[in-house]
Amino acid sequence: MISSTLAIARKDLRLAFAGGQGPVQAVLLGLLLVFIFSLSAAPGERFSPQQAMAIFWLCSSFAVVLIFSLLFRFEEENDTATALLLSPLPVQGLWLGKTLAGLVLLLLCQVFFFPAALVFLGLDPGGNPGGLALMVLGVDLGLCVLGGLIGAMGHGQGAKDALLTIIVFPLQVPLLLGGIRIGVGLMQGVPLAALGDWFGLVLAFDAVFSGAALFLFPHVFRGE
Amino acid sequence: MFRIYPKMLMFLAAATMLLMAVGQYAIWVYAPEEMTMGLVQKIFYFHLPLAWWSFVAFFGVCAASVLVLWTGKEKWDVLAGVLAEVGVLFSGLALVTGSIWGRAAWNTWWTWDPRLSTTLVMWFVYAGYLVLRAADAGGAKGARMRAVLGIVAFVDVPLVFLSARLWRSIHPAVLASRSGGLEPEMWTTVWINVVAWGALFAAVVLARYHGAGFARRVEAALVRIQEKTLQ
Repeated sequence: MISSTLAIARKDLRLAFAGGQGPVQAVLLGLLLVFIFSLSAAPGERFSPQQAMAIFWLCSSFAVVLIFSLLFRFEEENDTATALLLSPLPVQGLWLGKTLAGLVLLLLCQVFFFPAALVFLGLDPGGNPGGLALMVLGVDLGLCVLGGLIGAMGHGQGAKDALLTIIVFPLQVPLLLGGIRIGVGLMQGVPLAALGDWFGLVLAFDAVFSGAALFLFPHVFRGE
Repeated sequence: MFRIYPKMLMFLAAATMLLMAVGQYAIWVYAPEEMTMGLVQKIFYFHLPLAWWSFVAFFGVCAASVLVLWTGKEKWDVLAGVLAEVGVLFSGLALVTGSIWGRAAWNTWWTWDPRLSTTLVMWFVYAGYLVLRAADAGGAKGARMRAVLGIVAFVDVPLVFLSARLWRSIHPAVLASRSGGLEPEMWTTVWINVVAWGALFAAVVLARYHGAGFARRVEAALVRIQEKTLQ
């Protein structure tokens, strides 16, 4: 299953970057959000670490919706979804491949969001880049695991897939709270061990929703 | 085809009226007035049963959703929808009564508390679920899509609760202590009202389920008429 998962992820990333587009829409939306939120502070006033971190994760959350909408749109063109379902590839491998491709695209978006947050929101990265990378990876994984499942539901829905966002954002709440709290802790120099509960929560989210997605994805993404 | 139970509904409606009357008597006459908060404390007798039954409804949505995926029968999808409607109504009322209580007890309309936050997030999730149902998102695979959402929404509940608890809490742990700080008469009133609201919950669910059954019968009859007209 690993090789087919990687093949799906590779295919999606190639398609995403075909024509030099990539996740441009998600990056632009995120940058726009950071800029607009920066206007809410008076000149010379600094955002609190919690505010800056919350805005960063909000941008990431919006980016996830656009990324998975893009990844599943690929399968609508020429009805490649049916071709994938008829292939010997396990359907869970399809979800895993999409999740992996989404994770890469999200990390790429955050490469732009992070410096934007540094410049416009005064986000202080703190002195623990390893911890920060671990936090970003853990939270991003959860966002993409859920995004892969919900994105599959939006597949073939036309304009109705936008409705799914009203259920995605509340589901992400525990993960976003974890991302904000760990991020603020790391920025304020709190040791990793003291943030163990939050890391545990983020890992629990990743594990629970990975299990749920493995079980539920075949019910959502099937030929009909 | 949906089976409907008119006699059971009549019985439940009558029992609900009786239990609600007893519950109101217990609240306003039998239960003593709380010394610190006074009359405002009586909101608790509405708030607690509403919150509990809304959680039962959301668990029911998850259970019915599992049955949709397992059996593929339409009736479980309809039941999940009905339970979500009642759950959103009850949790919405629990949030409003909780907010009024919070204003009187903690001098704030809202606070980041595990139970309040979990209820609010669930309200958002299931309200979204109802919007998706109303929009008929999913087309032919709609029932399965709704079932997946029903399961995913419930899976999120413990995680939301944990995250909100880690954030901070000032909610009173009513059931954590042995007596919960309540007089025995107050406890009796609580349980009477839990049962009364449970009866109302069951009656509303059954009535809505009947409504859905009748709606489908009408739709089927209309299709038959159209087919005859075309012949």
